[in-house]
Amino acid sequence: MSSSAGSSGGAIGRSLGSSLGRSLGTLDKLIEALRCLPGVGPKSAQRMAYHLLQRERLAAAQLADALSEALQRIVHCQRCNTFTEAEICDRCASGKRDPSLLCVVEMPVDLNMMEQTHAYMGLYYVLMGRLSPLDGIGPKELRLDRLIERATDGVVREVIMATNFTNEGEATAHYLSELLHARGLKVSRIARGLPVGGELEFTDAGTIAQAMFERRDY
Amino acid sequence: MSGRQRIDGQIAWVLHSYPYSETSLIIDVFSRDHGRLPLMARGARRPRSALRGVLQAFQPIELAWFGAGEVRTLAKAEWVGGMPLLGGAALMLGYYVNELLLKLLPREDAHPALFDAYAASLQALSRGEAHESRLRLFEKTLLKELGYGLALERDAASGEPVLAGRHYQYLIERGPVEASSLPDAPEGAPVRSIRGKTLLDLAQDDYSDAQTLVESKALMRRLINHHLAGQPLQSRRVFIELQEL
Ligand SMILES: [Zn+2]
Repeated sequence: MSSSAGSSGGAIGRSLGSSLGRSLGTLDKLIEALRCLPGVGPKSAQRMAYHLLQRERLAAAQLADALSEALQRIVHCQRCNTFTEAEICDRCASGKRDPSLLCVVEMPVDLNMMEQTHAYMGLYYVLMGRLSPLDGIGPKELRLDRLIERATDGVVREVIMATNFTNEGEATAHYLSELLHARGLKVSRIARGLPVGGELEFTDAGTIAQAMFERRDY
Repeated sequence: MSGRQRIDGQIAWVLHSYPYSETSLIIDVFSRDHGRLPLMARGARRPRSALRGVLQAFQPIELAWFGAGEVRTLAKAEWVGGMPLLGGAALMLGYYVNELLLKLLPREDAHPALFDAYAASLQALSRGEAHESRLRLFEKTLLKELGYGLALERDAASGEPVLAGRHYQYLIERGPVEASSLPDAPEGAPVRSIRGKTLLDLAQDDYSDAQTLVESKALMRRLINHHLAGQPLQSRRVFIELQEL
């Protein structure tokens, strides 16, 4: 029946449930639910469920509480789209950042990394992903319209593309920059090349080749 | 059995990859001598894995793999290089080409001619050369290699040579038929006719005429949609949605 979804979703739960001609039992439901975690297949989900129920009942209760509390309280910041408990996160609300600069990153971990540099004092926008056409992730799934709205608030002057240097990150940066250029914004892209302290001898060939293709006047 | 052997020194391209378990990746690769096949790249998603940069799409790599069964195990992957990474609009065309192979090319069918056409197309895209004509050339090779070669130079009804100055309708799985010899389409939108010159240009891979480019794009789209048999192209949808923003 469910031939299209049958390859990945819940084979264990379904076969158990359907072979007995009833809906999923409580244990099966838990196993099925754990499978939503990245990299967790039917076997690991089963192991996790047994572990929680057998050895970690207290921790399991705390996990359940933390999860439901997080789901209730944590939302996306209306300005930068990262996770926050307030409508607008502390960083966006702080008057100490330069509101004319907007740095676009893929994920909250990228934002954290950028903050560690202390090299940037502007604001951020977190995409929560990247364009990935072959995975069906396009501008609608990424809600690019919200970023465009944010960037064209009249205060932002420069948008800095700090998406990853993968094909998907490059495609995201390219299309966003076209859309934002067309709206009169200055767009820049973080530079790529050898790491700080990098020695050619110990750098991978792909990085050196691209650094050569993208060499600049000096 | 050849499937159990270790295969070494295969030039290949990653078409797409899928995360697998915590740290691994399944890559769908297109290799010159073994066609398209999935490989398990163990540990490829570990933070310091040297494979991270190598197993990107749109760059030639040299692979070794072993094992039997549907998904072989990647043993080695080395960067080959020789071309800049795709950037800008060329990336979306790269995704389109990869999606065509993922959806139309059966697994483990060697197609060296198609492989060479693919490599040449990506090289050209990376250098920013005439995108549209490159795509037509690739699409034509793809259809030919899949066994759906185009008949372009003869009228499928009369057997006469196609004439540059006449107009034709291209009937799928038959070929061009001179437009005036067909009865009027009973109801619904008739297929737009195509110039004889476009058909002859397409046969010669001559895309210098702007009208040839426009008409051959429409023809190839019709043929490819036919062979996709209803499967939507995600890269096309995403591209269209981006234009609408
Ligand atoms: Zn915020």
